[in-house]
Amino acid sequence: MSSTLPPHSDKQQALSDSAAGGAAASAADHHQSAPSGPLRWLLTTNHKEIGSLYLLFSLLMFFIGGVLALVVRAELFQPGLMFVQPEFFNQMTTMHGLIMVFGAIMPAFVGLANWMLPLQIGAPDMALPRLNNFSFWLLPVAFTLLLSTLFMEGGGPNFGWTFYAPLSTTYAPPSTSFFILAMHLAGISSILGAINIIATILNLRTPGMRLMDMPLFVWTWLITAFLLIAVMPVLAGVVTMMLLDINFGTSFFDAAGGGDPVLFQHLFWFFGHPEVYIMILPAFGIISAIVPTFARKRLFGYASMVYATASIALLSFVVWAHHMFTVGLPLVAELFFMYTTMLIAVPTGVKVFNWMATLFRGSISFELPMLFALAFIVQFTIGGLSGVMLAISPADFQYHDTYFVVAHFHYVLVPGAVFAILAAAYYWLPKWTGVYPSEKLGQAHFWLSVIGVNLTFFPMHFSGLAGMPRRIPDYALQFADFNLLSSIGGFLFGTSQLLFLAVVILCMRKKGKKAPANPWEGAEGLEWQLPSPAPLHTFDTPPEFIPERDSPSRS
Amino acid sequence: MPACLPKVWRLLPAGFLLIALPVAGSQVNTSSGWNMPPGVTGISQNIFSLHMIIFWICVVIALVVFGVIFWSLFAYRKSKGAKAAHFHENTLVEVIWTALPLIILVAMAVPATATLKQLYDTSEADMDILVTGHQWRWHYQYMEEDLSFFSNLATPRSQIEGQEDKGDFYLLEVDQPLVVPTGQKIRFLFTSNDVIHSWWVPDLGIKKDTLPGFINESWTRIEEEGTYRGQCAELCGRNHAFMPIEVKAVSPEAYQSWVEERKAAAASEAANVDRERSLDELMQRGEEVYTTYCAACHQEDGGGMPPAFPALKGNALVQEESGRQQHLETVLHGRSGTPMPAYSDTLSLADIAAVITYERNAWGNNSGDRVQPAEIRELLDSDD
Amino acid sequence: MWRVLQAVLAAFFGVQSERKRREDFQQSSPWPFILTGVLMTLVFVVAVGFLAHWASS
Repeated sequence: MSSTLPPHSDKQQALSDSAAGGAAASAADHHQSAPSGPLRWLLTTNHKEIGSLYLLFSLLMFFIGGVLALVVRAELFQPGLMFVQPEFFNQMTTMHGLIMVFGAIMPAFVGLANWMLPLQIGAPDMALPRLNNFSFWLLPVAFTLLLSTLFMEGGGPNFGWTFYAPLSTTYAPPSTSFFILAMHLAGISSILGAINIIATILNLRTPGMRLMDMPLFVWTWLITAFLLIAVMPVLAGVVTMMLLDINFGTSFFDAAGGGDPVLFQHLFWFFGHPEVYIMILPAFGIISAIVPTFARKRLFGYASMVYATASIALLSFVVWAHHMFTVGLPLVAELFFMYTTMLIAVPTGVKVFNWMATLFRGSISFELPMLFALAFIVQFTIGGLSGVMLAISPADFQYHDTYFVVAHFHYVLVPGAVFAILAAAYYWLPKWTGVYPSEKLGQAHFWLSVIGVNLTFFPMHFSGLAGMPRRIPDYALQFADFNLLSSIGGFLFGTSQLLFLAVVILCMRKKGKKAPANPWEGAEGLEWQLPSPAPLHTFDTPPEFIPERDSPSRS
Repeated sequence: MPACLPKVWRLLPAGFLLIALPVAGSQVNTSSGWNMPPGVTGISQNIFSLHMIIFWICVVIALVVFGVIFWSLFAYRKSKGAKAAHFHENTLVEVIWTALPLIILVAMAVPATATLKQLYDTSEADMDILVTGHQWRWHYQYMEEDLSFFSNLATPRSQIEGQEDKGDFYLLEVDQPLVVPTGQKIRFLFTSNDVIHSWWVPDLGIKKDTLPGFINESWTRIEEEGTYRGQCAELCGRNHAFMPIEVKAVSPEAYQSWVEERKAAAASEAANVDRERSLDELMQRGEEVYTTYCAACHQEDGGGMPPAFPALKGNALVQEESGRQQHLETVLHGRSGTPMPAYSDTLSLADIAAVITYERNAWGNNSGDRVQPAEIRELLDSDD
Repeated sequence: MWRVLQAVLAAFFGVQSERKRREDFQQSSPWPFILTGVLMTLVFVVAVGFLAHWASS
């Protein structure tokens, strides 16, 4: 092993040896005295099993969050209070946001990272397997705690997923301290997961693979992990300040005691804006893997994709106050954040143009992962363009806190991030389970999802421009038609996800066409050298890696 | 390899065309509620034109990008035997698609900066109005006049709950609109009594958060007479959807006579405080006040929403003589550490007397107790 | 030094010619690039700040 290592990486080798040793030791445990039944899943340190746990957990949360969204859409089907009271409606919107952001999208990407990063860089496991187990099992605890608040006296969180003070402190329901604890646990889980991912990528790459040889999914996750480490502690800080304000008589966010409610928003969005990119950067990595595969052509600009990802990540730290344009910022701040926000369009545009150029003069086929990836590109671009509109600060005075914003971020997150996660699932399911996902069900799932998701979110642009504020359980009559469409679309999109559930269950039960080691004609990368399904332990000896002929790092 | 989809994929562009068409149509339908209203002030019209420019830029970019993508999907599909080319990375192309958006954005930033500066220029106003957000109503104070009042949702509960047909201005109508003169520069000062609200009237191009303990500013000059409606834009609790804004712009003369009328009415109410009121009179007025100010939390039937909002029905404090003093104190000064606000500055003496009387006699509380405005005045005076 | 600055500026812009990129990746240590990158990030933020300040007056 050492003979193939470049001379400068003695330290890497030492680290990777010890980590590999640790993994091997735990592997030995598995072989000799692997507990069976539920205990096995509780104690597993295997990256594939933990990856599966993450993915299944996020699927469960996706359905729970989806049901909450459907309660919201049912209430908004027509004007008037139809099914639920405003108090409960607010709990539904809040819980929907929290569950989808922290329980569904983030864990789904971490699950994909757990499964695929070691396979893509030729590592035997994650660098810190026991930590990996711990960071997963924090999540069920956090979300059980969070969901239990719905059954407490006074109800669950009802102040929106952005939980602005003082609505979330002085005026919050008694269950808020439980919400804060749940946020802490989910935050710790994310930080530990991010540390693990960075340690794995920096130390466990197979000999010969340099940073600029890594697949883009690995690159985007590396950058995302740094974002997580930078901002999750800020979230922890802000919820701790809330906890102190609520229970210990401090006044961080209470002007009566010398505090400032706007301070909360600065802190929240300093976390919150990078958080938005945490939920989209890994999606860029997925799409950058799938598009070249099914266009049978190299990604147009690998290096500029890496640069663009880094630019977006850096810029994400200096744009946070564009969420606060109407809060009464000084003019200078308003201008600063408008300029920086507009700049984000440039690297984001570079990404879209790169995918476009990759498709151009390719040899394109339309398998399930490709369908979702193509839909991602188009729909994400729509969300990106409405983002450019929102960056124009004076116009944002009209857009802010309306359904236009709801349409914008849902376009980025649902037809965007969620579609990318679905594309990834269809792409790697053959590797995970050894069988192709059902073509018929997958097709139905795709088309119903595309129609449903656009029917849900596209009319929201119009209701928002026409003047409908967000987070209201009842609305004026001129918004009725748009809301009717959105509700129909919402139920269509929601129920069609059951087809995805069926696809996953069929694959898990090995029902379907057997997949070869490389199930996709144009796919490249270390993960496809392994048999399908990938055995529990892979790359116990690092695979040989030959950089592509004209890769940037090749001397 | 799973079967490539021979025909279905052709639907893909069609699907997105369906989506793209309404966007293109939105320009045509500006007046029919598809688009942002151009509004009736210089600011709102500047915002509208910025919005339309950036919208069309986005449409053009989208058409180019989606055009190339869908054309590639069509022309280079493997099922027609397309062979992949091997090019990648072209410095010139990359420079162009990085520089071009940059130039467009700089071009957008210039007019946006100008509009923003205009929006922030609150100097040399002809009059000032202090807008205070309350859960869940607006309070308006005319700083140059001795005049202030609350503005509450006027849509009846029966329309919201569907027992009655909804009116044209469902959820956008108030009991007392904000009346302002046309042609004058009006400076708004914004603050809040409790949580953060946001005062938004699309036709004026104003949206500004109201922060507890802080003051924000904005301004407007309305040229056209008319009624302009808006809503609270920042989630502020359970009745966030039910605190609309109605601004009535009238000629300066009509505005002056309205101010005089309001002042006269306030003076006659003040002169009448000492008049002894009957139980019926107090109960009738009390019910109105209760519905507007108390029912959101303590509920129409007095049942409350424990634990945050205690029931008043059968509540010892409200029912029994021993609790009378504390009941009065609670309504006047609120209860710290709970969402219960102080009403001594919010409601008139007569309203406070009426609503307390109502609470002590409604829903079978039947204490027979009457509270007179004069008693409230005495209590407030002794507090000072 | 000029080389490093050029590489960092190219990375900020997101485009670099293949030849120069190869040369940059031949360097023995990444630290000059990283330090210059961090420094230039600060310069960039301060510059936008000044721009906003200038535009608002």
